Amino acid sequence: MTDAPDTAKLELPQGTLDLLILKALSLEAQHGWAISERIRQVSSAALQIPQGSLYPALHRLERRGWIKAKWGESDNNRRAKFYELTRTGRHQLETETAAWRRLTIAVRLVLEMQ
Amino acid sequence: MSVGDLLAGIASDIRYRLRAIFHRTEVERELDEELRYHLERESEKHARRGVAAAAATRRARLEFGGVDRVKEEVRDARGVRIVETMLRDLRYAIRGLRAHPGFTLAVVATLGLGIGANTAMFGVVDRLMFRPPAFMPDPASVNRVDLEYTFHHDEIEMGSIQYQRYLDLARDAHTITQSAVFQNRQLAIGTGDDARVMGVAVVSASYFNLFDAHPVIGRFFNEADDSRTSPTPVVVLGNTLWRTRFGSRRDILGKQLQVGSLNATIIGVAPDGFVGIEPSEPAVAFIPATAFAAADFPREALKDYGWQWLYMLIRRKPDVGAAAAAADLSHAFELSWESERAMDPQRESVKIARPHATVLPIQAYRAVGGVRSPSIVLWILGVAGIVLLIACANVANLLLGRAFGRRREIAVRLALGVSRSHLVLQLLIETLLLALLAGLAGVAIGEAGQSILRSLFLPDTTSTAVLGDSRSLLFAISVALLAGILTGLAPALQSGRSELTSALKSGVREGGGRRTRTRNTLLVAQAALSVILLVGAGLFVRSLYKVASIKLGYDVDPVLYVETDLRDTKLSDSAQYQLSTRLAEEARALPEVRSAALAMTVPLYGMMMWSFSVPGVDSADQLGHFALQMGERDYFRTMGTRILRGRGFDSTDRPHSEKVVVISEGMAKKLWPQADALGKCIKFGDDTMPCTNVIGIAENVKMNDVVVDEGLQYYLSIEQRQPSGTTLFVRMNDDAEHYTEMVRKRLQPLMPGTSFVIVTPMRRILDPHLSSWRMGATMFLVFGVLALVLAAIGLYSVIAYNVAQRTQELGLRIALGAPARDVLRMILGEGLRFGLAGIVVGALIALAAGHWVQPLLYGVSAHDPLVFVAVAAVLAIVAIAASAIPALHAVRLDPSIALRAE
Repeated sequence: MTDAPDTAKLELPQGTLDLLILKALSLEAQHGWAISERIRQVSSAALQIPQGSLYPALHRLERRGWIKAKWGESDNNRRAKFYELTRTGRHQLETETAAWRRLTIAVRLVLEMQ
Repeated sequence: MSVGDLLAGIASDIRYRLRAIFHRTEVERELDEELRYHLERESEKHARRGVAAAAATRRARLEFGGVDRVKEEVRDARGVRIVETMLRDLRYAIRGLRAHPGFTLAVVATLGLGIGANTAMFGVVDRLMFRPPAFMPDPASVNRVDLEYTFHHDEIEMGSIQYQRYLDLARDAHTITQSAVFQNRQLAIGTGDDARVMGVAVVSASYFNLFDAHPVIGRFFNEADDSRTSPTPVVVLGNTLWRTRFGSRRDILGKQLQVGSLNATIIGVAPDGFVGIEPSEPAVAFIPATAFAAADFPREALKDYGWQWLYMLIRRKPDVGAAAAAADLSHAFELSWESERAMDPQRESVKIARPHATVLPIQAYRAVGGVRSPSIVLWILGVAGIVLLIACANVANLLLGRAFGRRREIAVRLALGVSRSHLVLQLLIETLLLALLAGLAGVAIGEAGQSILRSLFLPDTTSTAVLGDSRSLLFAISVALLAGILTGLAPALQSGRSELTSALKSGVREGGGRRTRTRNTLLVAQAALSVILLVGAGLFVRSLYKVASIKLGYDVDPVLYVETDLRDTKLSDSAQYQLSTRLAEEARALPEVRSAALAMTVPLYGMMMWSFSVPGVDSADQLGHFALQMGERDYFRTMGTRILRGRGFDSTDRPHSEKVVVISEGMAKKLWPQADALGKCIKFGDDTMPCTNVIGIAENVKMNDVVVDEGLQYYLSIEQRQPSGTTLFVRMNDDAEHYTEMVRKRLQPLMPGTSFVIVTPMRRILDPHLSSWRMGATMFLVFGVLALVLAAIGLYSVIAYNVAQRTQELGLRIALGAPARDVLRMILGEGLRFGLAGIVVGALIALAAGHWVQPLLYGVSAHDPLVFVAVAAVLAIVAIAASAIPALHAVRLDPSIALRAE
């Protein structure tokens, strides 16, 4: 995350990347580039993941057994490595989403304090 | 996080890392490809928006960041440095264990005993029952063949088969690639003074083809040697016999060796460990089936279907199942049956006799000859398993105690960011390291214990070594790993789930109520299991005592018996009898011999029955199983059988004097319940024979079986009947065991030709009849005491730990003036409560299990109160003793130090 991000874009808080990846994979299996594209599109490009940091995160998640990888054909008919959520990963996504919601609500309450 | 997720996490972690280590190049190549794909897609995206190709690529790279640095980060993430991490975990574990030598030693010793006992026991059971024969490739495709047919609506199992039948089946069965026959026989090897009876495998030449074994020197015999028309008298020596008897000399090839009636030429030596297919009956030599038959039997014996004596082995063709082979062999048996019917028209037709074959695993007949009661072996295996359970419970207890003590250390590490799964993995590594150390100790203990087991279960020629035996070592390692996971998982997971904050805040003494409950349960379980084993030990010891003190009606220790084997020496019946009387006279001439007498059979060895009739008693010989013995005039004195009334045989009983008989008390009561048997008449053979008069009543003896015997025996004067086959009993002045060789040396020179004498102490006949109880008593006792020691250690460690935890409280009590007596009573009471709970639970289980043990016992109920009370007392005493040391320690606490302790 040492790549200097575009100043107009938000820097990710620590540990959020994992959550975003899990979320991006919750609908269907994706390869690395598609994950980064998806996050960029959905967040209206407000969140830009430093592309390099995506891959260490993917491999870490794979090691933990939250996602698993397999090789397949991509939409342009090339070999690509696809990641998908495991049962543990889905479980993890739910837990962390809930935690994130609680955190943001709490932070908002504090910030909006009059 | 749930335990399931935690475990799944660990499993995935290990799988992923293993792949990263062992398939490094592949993993790296995939990473290259993955990143390249990303960059290509990214530059395509830019190109689609109108950026020039070269610029698009550069921009994609720029956005991506340094590819090499990303790769480096990925490597970190996947933990390629895992090897270092693992090594670090291992070093950490070793350091931890070395820091607590007492704990380490306790775990290794406890688990080592459990693993050792099981490994040694496994070695025996495996060799007795499961292990395929040495040198046999693909033993699963080799079967024993059993033939059966129906006769008068009864299914007859043929057991052994005829040589001709074997040839028929081998010719007509198409699903087999190999077939062979064998029979293990006890034959005398050598001549004169050197002759010894040993187990010899009588086999077809094809027998060797079932094995992948090559002779050390010379050759195995082949089809030409083992020919039905002109068999060659040859012998292949077993390796043991070659070493012990021929000093491994290579020049023995071509020498002659007398094997049974066969004067055979030595043509080869089998490799070490090649003992045929029954490890419990190892063969010391191998001779051709045809040559063996030709030496003792007429030619026709191999050609007709009269002589059943061989066991058949087959190897199925690849991809032929057992059922298909059985069907094929059944068909071949039907054809063979027709051939037999052509020679013997009395045989029923195939339709009625329904001859058929079954194929059995090669181990199917194991443990029948070797051990009298295989169920005892399985029982003991179960007992060894219980000891392992106790050891595991003990170790789990120690680990829980240690994990509890390390609560804060673990909390600190968690707070420092060590992941929980890594922590659990680390604790597991530590336990597995302990378990492997215990496995090593277990192998050493098993190696030490196996010689005892061998003397109990297996003949000396079979090795039961643990070291160097891959199956035993594999077993030991598997048990060690299993025990490690079993005992380490719960404490490790509990540590991994521990509440961080409360653990950080708490002192050493606080909390852990749930853990204490687990530990207490484990403790009671240990005590209960010990009670069960000790009750078993007590029951078997009592049974053994009861069996050993059964009145046999003859003496065992001072008596030897002498048998003769004539081999190929041909003597007439009368010459045989004269030889026997000469042997008896020679024995009597020895100063160490008190008396000697010829007889017909050896008690417990076999039983002879004659038909007889008694005037005035209808079909008298059908009233029971009346056992016949014949004896010389000194017979009763020699055997130590008392004559209750009348007289035994004496010098007046000559061949032509009036025929006489001595009968047992039981027989007298059976035949003449109301009258005096003395002087009564018994007619042997048919009822036209002259009377044989009852001249004496002898005490009942155990003739057929030590336990079950009706006590119906009668003795005829051997001098009046002069049978050809006799046995000589010799009574020594003291224990006969020492005189075996002396008597043999003295008598052997009287034997003509290659014939020889065999001298055996009576003790040898009796021992196998006691062996199942002796084995049960020995093994239950050994394992029971082991269990007790383990339970005592467990109890001691928990009580000592509790005392240490309560140092402050106890110090306070003492400072406040609590009498030492009260403190002592409090701690001893705690130990005793555990003991009592164990006694109650264990006794209840033992009572419930009594139903299954009862058939193995003799003369004692499985619910024998004496045994239960004694075991309860022993356990209570051990419980008090185990808690006495910590209790005394507590009493001697210095309050000023104790109060400050943390």
